[in-house]
Amino acid sequence: MIANNSYIKIFGTMGLSIGLMVILFLSSEQEVHRNNAFIRRYPPHPITKLYDLDVIHNSYYIAGFDRDLLYLGNRSAPWHLLQVNMRTRDTLPIRLTPSGNGLRYRSIHTSVLPPYFFVMDGTMPFILRGRLGEWKAHAWMEGAAFFDRAVPVDSHLMFIRTISSKTQKSTLGIIKKTTGFQVALDTTLLEAQIDGIFDVDGTMVLSKETSKLGYVYYYRNQFMTMNLEMKGLHRHRTIDTVETAQISLAEPNLKGDVSMKSPPLFINKATCMSRNLLLIVSDRLGKNESEEMLDEATIVDAYDYLKGSYEYSFYIYDIKKHKVREFAVHEGYLVALLDTQISVYETREPYFDGSISTNNQNIKDYLLASSGRRSKTRTTE
Amino acid sequence: MKGLKHLQVWIPYAVSILCSILFIYAATSKLWDFQNFKTQLGQSPILTAYAEWVVWLVPLTEYILAFLILADRFRLIALYGTLGLMTMFTTYIVLVLNFSDYIPCTCGGVLEAMGWTEHIIFNAFFIVLVTLAILLSTPKLPPKAIPT
Repeated sequence: MIANNSYIKIFGTMGLSIGLMVILFLSSEQEVHRNNAFIRRYPPHPITKLYDLDVIHNSYYIAGFDRDLLYLGNRSAPWHLLQVNMRTRDTLPIRLTPSGNGLRYRSIHTSVLPPYFFVMDGTMPFILRGRLGEWKAHAWMEGAAFFDRAVPVDSHLMFIRTISSKTQKSTLGIIKKTTGFQVALDTTLLEAQIDGIFDVDGTMVLSKETSKLGYVYYYRNQFMTMNLEMKGLHRHRTIDTVETAQISLAEPNLKGDVSMKSPPLFINKATCMSRNLLLIVSDRLGKNESEEMLDEATIVDAYDYLKGSYEYSFYIYDIKKHKVREFAVHEGYLVALLDTQISVYETREPYFDGSISTNNQNIKDYLLASSGRRSKTRTTE
Repeated sequence: MKGLKHLQVWIPYAVSILCSILFIYAATSKLWDFQNFKTQLGQSPILTAYAEWVVWLVPLTEYILAFLILADRFRLIALYGTLGLMTMFTTYIVLVLNFSDYIPCTCGGVLEAMGWTEHIIFNAFFIVLVTLAILLSTPKLPPKAIPT
């Protein structure tokens, strides 16, 4: 009898322990994935470094990709592009030429979207378009709409941010070229917290694979994704806890210009989209993270915006104390710009292959979770 | 028969000492490099959300068990406790290996040099020992209950 009793106790103890552990595991999964507690997870090596390449100037920005080729635009030499073959590491300077003479410009941004490249100036405003390889830019749009940033979506669609004349606040919109130009602004997308210009500032991103547009606020823990018609809006929270932009603005000067009084608190610094992932550079520390790490690397958080969940984080290492300025993912490569260098990484499966959202179970998971999720996700249609 | 009787007294005692040494060593090595332990546990895929208090709970439990198991009065309870803790550790490893999104680089804490499979075997060995000790040290077994 007593021996039997011991067996019951032994198996009872073991059963209880296993049960407790499984419950801990399941609820921890829940916490990390859905609850947006500010805790990061670092799987081993989602990216591995291939090489660093010195491109001499620190004024480069990522203009776009074409297969293995990376194109860098240059802020201080607006008609210049640098072509970098990511496989062979060959670089080739390219000179762009406008088709007409006497083009006036103030601030030019170049963007590559095969088979075209775009030269854009939202202050004039104009957008030129040319074919890759020919490098001659022809007028595509002139005077239809002012904008302060534009992202080409395809050869006749442009994702823009501008100041709405109606509300005098920053607004997202699209320029569509059919026979003429259609400019559609949606003033409800960007939600003002302070002045509606500085506080809603952020980065505009595009995922060609899933046909989604994204906007990531700089100063608060939110981003949004929508389809190419700016419909089907989803608002997401990041794992950070700062909900309200922490910036302070000075009184307008005599010319009426407003500037920031103190350095703002950046929550989401640089971003890019890759398939179902939205990647955000953040230098904010979560729980269980050591501060020393920030002296040598930058943290990148990966979110699956189709599932509406935080997935994992990884590091991009600094080069001689210089941090990542911007980065992008393209066909198995992750490219980061740091000072005068570019760091080229290889992205590893299954972290970047989009398998997470093509999996049926996960989609079901998402549908279940999106109805009762705490993170604020809203759909407008 | 006499040797067997001897063994019955000896095994629980030996197992207790062994467990005590293991726990004291494990808990001390965790506290020794506490920051490291905390970081590793925080980044482990299972306990991420509870790392804050688990980092304290685990070494504390290990110390308490290590001392209780040496006292005759509490040995049986402590043995059950050890069995529970060991089962939890093993379950943790099995969950990490099979159901988690990724397998962490280091396991940290107890005997870092061991691989995951060795760890499971090591733990299973201890679970068997402890079970044996519990069965043998259950007080006043009626003679007929031991078939020899």
